[in-house]
Amino acid sequence: MEDKKIKVEVRNLTKSFGNLLVLDNVSFEVFDGEFLCIVGPTGCGKTTFLNSLTKLYDIDSGSITVDGEEINPRKHNLAYIFQEYSTMEWLKVQENIEYGLKIKKFSPEAIKQRTDIVIQMVGLDKYRNYYPSQLSASMLQRVVIARAFAIQPDLLLMDEPYGQLDLTLKYKLEDELIKMWERQRTTVLFITHNIEEAVYLSDRIIVLTNKPTKIKTEIINNLPRPRKVSDLEFVKLRNQVTDLIKWW
Amino acid sequence: MDNQGKIKIQCGHLHKTFHAKNRKQDEVNEVIRDFNLQVRENEFVVLFGPGQCGKTTILNILAGLEEKNSGTVVVNDIEVTGPRQDRGMVYQTTALFPWLKVIDNVAFGPKMQGMKHSDWKKKAQYYIDLVGLTGFEKTYPVKLSGGMQQRVGIARAYCNDPEVIFMDEPFGHLDAQTRYLMEEEIEKICNGEKRTVVFVTNNIEEAIYLADRIVLLTNTPTHVDKEYVVDIPRPRDYTSPGFLALREEITARIDTTNL
Amino acid sequence: MFFPNPIEVLTYFVHTLTHKIGKYNLTMHTLFSLKRVAVGFGLSSLSGIILGVAMGYSKTINAIVRPLFNIIRPIPGLAWIPLAILWFGIGETTKYFIIFMGGFANIVLNSYDGTVKVNPVLEGAARLLGANDVQVFFHVILPSATTYIFAGLQVSLSTSWMAVLAAEMISSYEGAGWIINMGMQTGDTTLILVGMVAIAIVGFLLANIMRILERGLCSWTIRGR
Repeated sequence: MEDKKIKVEVRNLTKSFGNLLVLDNVSFEVFDGEFLCIVGPTGCGKTTFLNSLTKLYDIDSGSITVDGEEINPRKHNLAYIFQEYSTMEWLKVQENIEYGLKIKKFSPEAIKQRTDIVIQMVGLDKYRNYYPSQLSASMLQRVVIARAFAIQPDLLLMDEPYGQLDLTLKYKLEDELIKMWERQRTTVLFITHNIEEAVYLSDRIIVLTNKPTKIKTEIINNLPRPRKVSDLEFVKLRNQVTDLIKWW
Repeated sequence: MDNQGKIKIQCGHLHKTFHAKNRKQDEVNEVIRDFNLQVRENEFVVLFGPGQCGKTTILNILAGLEEKNSGTVVVNDIEVTGPRQDRGMVYQTTALFPWLKVIDNVAFGPKMQGMKHSDWKKKAQYYIDLVGLTGFEKTYPVKLSGGMQQRVGIARAYCNDPEVIFMDEPFGHLDAQTRYLMEEEIEKICNGEKRTVVFVTNNIEEAIYLADRIVLLTNTPTHVDKEYVVDIPRPRDYTSPGFLALREEITARIDTTNL
Repeated sequence: MFFPNPIEVLTYFVHTLTHKIGKYNLTMHTLFSLKRVAVGFGLSSLSGIILGVAMGYSKTINAIVRPLFNIIRPIPGLAWIPLAILWFGIGETTKYFIIFMGGFANIVLNSYDGTVKVNPVLEGAARLLGANDVQVFFHVILPSATTYIFAGLQVSLSTSWMAVLAAEMISSYEGAGWIINMGMQTGDTTLILVGMVAIAIVGFLLANIMRILERGLCSWTIRGR
């Protein structure tokens, strides 16, 4: 892995609430274009982890750098996809996707070009002028994904975006996510409680401990894509991760 | 699969249409079309289907909480016309009474039927212990985690001694790991106290892990697409070859019929 | 003096706690006002909750009462003063009536809301567990309406407290409202302010007592750590 370029570097991240230590000296890096999954046991402080990473919380100590510079939402392109479909109800599909680009002050031509590309990629070309309320759950999620990919983020953060979805739909959206990622090679950091999902999506899995959260271990996942959940190798890896986490 | 078992639920040619009054026109939404189901005593049947299909509506009709348009529903030899205490329900979102402590939630049924204080207390305690909530008797539901709330819901349904228990995606809002735990727990409880259960889910792993028989439903208007008898020995392993093979078979079936 | 200094007001305030203004000392005056609120507010709470819950529970009752109620509702309690005086004279009944009208509408509306907004899933759950109509009413509908009812009571208590002062300023020989009126008539700004301080303190205490009561009765709504 030495030849890989480091995109994001997290060093000695520590965070506590009062006397309660939540993140205990967490260090790891995300390589350029990598799909990194982070899994931990239920109640491992997943949200705190994410919020500290994006500096939504002030961290007690440690550093987070993107391309060697301290992380800065104004300067670096960070995109988030959470469980809630965070579309803007009053904007049409196309306007929702353009929104992020406008904020980043792209030229009108660049906005049009990028929007066209992602809107086709997620297959919503026919729905450009629909409002979110007219779309199904899967389409909404695709709008959110398209919006995130349109700004070609340095880092795409995903917090269990498919947690509450129907399984069939979930698999479909996971495949779509992988397709987008393979095309654009965006660096993705995906946090989940779902072990099978982590094994299905990732290049590498970081396993967290219970609170205070530390990194227990990391596992390289080079199963060939497209993956199949019933393949022997897949099952082996899934069981390996499960054994590391299992508390139930 | 004892085919000799007594028939507990007999549901034939069930139809249900919702009429939504719109400003411009009457919207007619056919949710269930010719749904048939037969469940034998102590059988664990899983109704498995895509997101928006009428699974919850079917359960509500079986329980007598919603009215049907046509068809017959007989539960426990009685034609269903309204809610009755011989049927229990565990809900999607925990429908616990937030103003009652755990023990009073669990004992709600027996209390309503006028059971003596010492008797309902003993009984509720038994089921609280069974679902692993010993020590939380005096806690209000809001203070419990999602998984614990569902345990209370399960204990409450069991404590009322129903002949048939309906479970409507009880673990849908839990995270993947807590879900595994609850699936193991419910299997243990069902092993300890045999009941007739109809369980609704859209999670294929959950369906195979729990079911004696899986009834695959179609999109709306919902009816039965196919049935699968699950004879993998218990306790089941999510990653055993038999489990994965069945999972693949059902997933493939959904892909060809729904997408 | 246009505006007396605070120390003067405070000294006078402490002094009058035990020394008479008119027929009684300040403590007694305040207790008179409180008694009026207790009667008026008590009556409006009791009848308001019963009417509101009945309207929420029975569509027929709602259909009958609602039109009448909709006419009365926007009229502030104080607007009833002239009518009340004509009807009941200037005795205690008038004051009770004004206080009653000040809080009534809010309590009815909130009780109605709470009753109507009961979660149908909970009602179904109770029926499946064998509860009959009466049991559903007392074990599901009433408890789930409590938070709403309390919100109504809280607002109504403060309007009742306002109404008692208005009633006393118009016609009475005792009460916190009378003190203010007295101060105005004699040009004694210090006395006016003493009355106002007493009103503020009592209003503050009443609001807090309600809050404590709610915390006790609706403890199940408080999330744990």
